Amino acid sequence: MPGLPRTTPGRSADQPCSDVASALWVFAVCHAGAFAELPSGAGHPEGGPVTLLRLDDLLSAVVQDVPSSRFSEEVLKQRLADPGELESCARTHHRTVTAAAEHGPVVPLPLATLFNGEARARAALCARLPHFHAALTRVRGREEWAVKVSLRQTGTASAPSAPQDAPGGQAGAGRAYLTRVRGRERERVARHEQAVAAAARVHRAASALAVESVQRRPHSPQITGKDRLQLMNAAYLVDRGRALDLATVLQRAGADAASADVEVEVSGPWVPYSFTEPVEAPDDSPERAGSRT
Amino acid sequence: MNAPRVNVDPDHAARDLVSLVLTLVELLRQLMERQAIRRIDEGGLTEDQEEALGTALMMLDRTMTELCEHHGLSRSDLGLDLGPLGPLLADTEW
Repeated sequence: MPGLPRTTPGRSADQPCSDVASALWVFAVCHAGAFAELPSGAGHPEGGPVTLLRLDDLLSAVVQDVPSSRFSEEVLKQRLADPGELESCARTHHRTVTAAAEHGPVVPLPLATLFNGEARARAALCARLPHFHAALTRVRGREEWAVKVSLRQTGTASAPSAPQDAPGGQAGAGRAYLTRVRGRERERVARHEQAVAAAARVHRAASALAVESVQRRPHSPQITGKDRLQLMNAAYLVDRGRALDLATVLQRAGADAASADVEVEVSGPWVPYSFTEPVEAPDDSPERAGSRT
Repeated sequence: MNAPRVNVDPDHAARDLVSLVLTLVELLRQLMERQAIRRIDEGGLTEDQEEALGTALMMLDRTMTELCEHHGLSRSDLGLDLGPLGPLLADTEW
């Protein structure tokens, strides 16, 4: 799933959980009074209703009471180590953040942001109020669109084992081999250069419409599949009214590039996960090793 | 997006080590090929030298395939993801 926040289990590390029956899961921060309660179906199935916790005159946190039997630090750490549980937790988090975003701009918080009770949550979140205010202003009326550009890997073998590759000894076989290697090498470089140029065109086209953009590290073939090489993995923050323009522009850029086995993949609108992180935060963790533009 | 688990099963360890060694050998092989092409393009070699060089590289290529087959790997299994630097063998088909 693109755009999901990083997992930060153990947020509550400094807070003993054992003596409390429930914990408070915080999904996001939004404007105070954006809604009273999200419809059932939002939030973790084990928890209570998803409500707002007032932070100051203007801001509230989107919170849910969850039983510590399932969400204590120990238990959660184990659960999130399991890919299936992690996925279901992440999906719940994402679904709830998205539901809250229907009522106005939100700043999503990382997965597994948990506190022992409202007082602790309020204290911790209020310490970051300026950031939340700034982030909400930044994303108001805007959506995130993810754009990925990849190069389809055709079946060009790494070894140029041409049909005439009869057992060695043939006169000229060595030079013929080198010629094949040279041809394949040239083709590879040309294909790659073409694709990189196409990705740059896509980025220019999208940037022209976007308010901000973030380049993330392209996914490895482990995720994209071995038949594709991802060249660009970017997110754009776009005014809600310009989504259609973006789609049109990207479709055109994608069509232009199609000849070079280049694939342009657009997804969205997303809650602006990529544009609500504090800019002053350490930016060297691998998940955010992208440059802000 | 869970990271692959490290498998401490001895059979796997041996296989992983073989695939790592073959990946490095493959990397060197590809670099040699490119270097050879560069030398030829610079025009520093006679036809006989080119023929010898090409034959040697062709044999090396064939041996790589055989080695991979012998160890139950395919050429496309070779390759390391170097994270931000991208895959080690950028031009294989993987």
